[in-house]
Amino acid sequence: MTTRPTVTIHGADGAPCGNTATLPSVFKAPIRPDIVQKVHTGMAKNKRQPYAVSEKAGHQTSAESWGTGRAVARIPRVSGGGTHRAGQAAFGNQCRSGRMFAPTKVWRKWHVKVNLGQKRFATASALAASAAAPLVQARGHRISTVPELPLVIADSAFSTMNKTRTAIELLKSVGAYQDVTKASKSRKIRAGKGKLRGRRHRQRRGPLVIINPADENAQSVVKSFRNIPGVETASVTSLNLLQLAPGGHLGRFVVWTESAFNALNTVYGTTVTPSELKKDYLLPSNIVSNADIGRLINSAEVQAVVRPAKGGPRQKKGGKAGVLKKNPLRNRQVLLRLNPYAKAFSAQKLGCVKVEKVNERPGKGETFKTIINAD
Amino acid sequence: MSSNVSSDLVWAITRNNSSYIVKRGPIKDQIIFTREPLSLTNQHTRKHSGLVNEKAVGVQAGESGNVVLITKRNAEKHGNKPASLYNITTFNKHKSNRKIYSAIASAVAKKSYRADLRQAAVARASAIKRSQKPVKATPESKPRGVKAKKAAEGGVSSA
Amino acid sequence: MAAARKHIPIVKKRTKRFNRHQSDRYKTVKAAWRKPKGIDNRVRRRFKGQAVMPSIGFGSNRKTRHMMPSGHKAFLVQNTSDLDLLLMHNKTYAAEIGHAVSSRKRIEIIAKAKTLGVKVTNPKGRITTDA
Repeated sequence: MTTRPTVTIHGADGAPCGNTATLPSVFKAPIRPDIVQKVHTGMAKNKRQPYAVSEKAGHQTSAESWGTGRAVARIPRVSGGGTHRAGQAAFGNQCRSGRMFAPTKVWRKWHVKVNLGQKRFATASALAASAAAPLVQARGHRISTVPELPLVIADSAFSTMNKTRTAIELLKSVGAYQDVTKASKSRKIRAGKGKLRGRRHRQRRGPLVIINPADENAQSVVKSFRNIPGVETASVTSLNLLQLAPGGHLGRFVVWTESAFNALNTVYGTTVTPSELKKDYLLPSNIVSNADIGRLINSAEVQAVVRPAKGGPRQKKGGKAGVLKKNPLRNRQVLLRLNPYAKAFSAQKLGCVKVEKVNERPGKGETFKTIINAD
Repeated sequence: MSSNVSSDLVWAITRNNSSYIVKRGPIKDQIIFTREPLSLTNQHTRKHSGLVNEKAVGVQAGESGNVVLITKRNAEKHGNKPASLYNITTFNKHKSNRKIYSAIASAVAKKSYRADLRQAAVARASAIKRSQKPVKATPESKPRGVKAKKAAEGGVSSA
Repeated sequence: MAAARKHIPIVKKRTKRFNRHQSDRYKTVKAAWRKPKGIDNRVRRRFKGQAVMPSIGFGSNRKTRHMMPSGHKAFLVQNTSDLDLLLMHNKTYAAEIGHAVSSRKRIEIIAKAKTLGVKVTNPKGRITTDA
């Protein structure tokens, strides 16, 4: 592709407003699900709060082992008498009201350090994936009515926005509301104890609206969107992988404001010019400049140096060389290839010719002795 | 699609992780289907995946007995424009089956679109047409053997 | 309902169950198979007249494995949209309605299966047959 790809900017009514923006370089970043997954698993752990069972649990008794010789297991047993508890096993993880095996500790390693370079790589990768329609669809977003990805909406649509109603209106006009409906319909009560622990419902994620915090109206835009189910807002300057690739799955559906979209080049820079906001940061470049492997293989340059395929045309039930073995005794063509004389042999019916019986034979009638003593 | 995305990459990413995948059965003999609308056989394969291939074909049952043919438009121009990506042709239910099939076959296989999918596309259209026919009521099973005797006796005694 | 595609005959090399050794002698030893591990165990040592142990040799032909006598393989279905997947496969797979599906939805599923020509393995479940 020689021309720099451009992206249409859509107005509040969903129609292109005439302006276009060039595609920022982040969207050319390599898409690496492996890195995104790895970084996501690390980052997702950093919001955890410590939990543990009580330090004393299962140890609030003065049990001692009875030792050997009493025909019972040597597990510690509760001392004393006068109650059922006396003589019962204690402490062990197999015991009733014993402690658990390897009691959980609050000093478990809860958080995982993820290298900054990797985090940035993953974010750039997730952003690039958010512009690929098949990946966004494969993540499960409903985008069949969205005019274009990345979906950029003109600033004029946001400049006076201060109502959720207008925000919904906007999402509807740009075809992003299907995804909101899907998210709001998916709201279900969580299975298990999580209900009691502040995680009562679970639901799908909808579109992510990315704004530029430098905009005057940014605060009220965030407020307008925040009560729509599934919709989240984020600022371009501090994008979070947990929002861009929820669950570590690439392809979040992102709605950009025009100014946020234009700010991307300053936030991330390009592969050659460093970012203005991140110190010493260049975008990662692709290892393979053309991701279309089929086209690479079929290119004239590669085909010119490729060895011809072995074994001629491939057949369905080929052996190692890909050629079906044919029996020359049954298949005439194969026979002729091996033995060109076979044609004349059968045409002249040489196989049916009788050998003439010859009566004449040198030395017939002579005895063995006379032949030997000929000289 | 931009230069860092290709159908090979999309397939590498979506073959193990996609919202359309349906897996059933024991791991060894697992069937993997896909719910993608542009999959003719619903099998989750590179050939039949509508997300992955730049040219893909879908045949679906339309409203009130219609058959709908979906194909993808030029990926270079429309690849990232989901709303305008698809060519949708609707075949009226009054159109004869043969005409529908030949129309689908030529739309799929001609102009070097996806000749490898012609058979599957026609087969799917045919299956859809068959499914749109009114269902015949299943005939009541006639009892045979001992059951028949019992039924006959019961009838006699009651009469 | 589409009949299954033609296939080689299904051969079950063994139809009897493999009962756990000594499950016939003790109530506490259940019939579910456990491989005997004892050093002197006669079943483990494959003595004459002892129970046979399960082994890979009893496995079915790859082509007919998991196949029902009708020639279909079971495909678990929870709703009508799951059935749509079988539109092109009604000769290889038969729908099996999940155990927790309500009778109202079962009726829908069975009706849809009929139009698609998909066999349902458990069409009578939860549907009362009072005339």
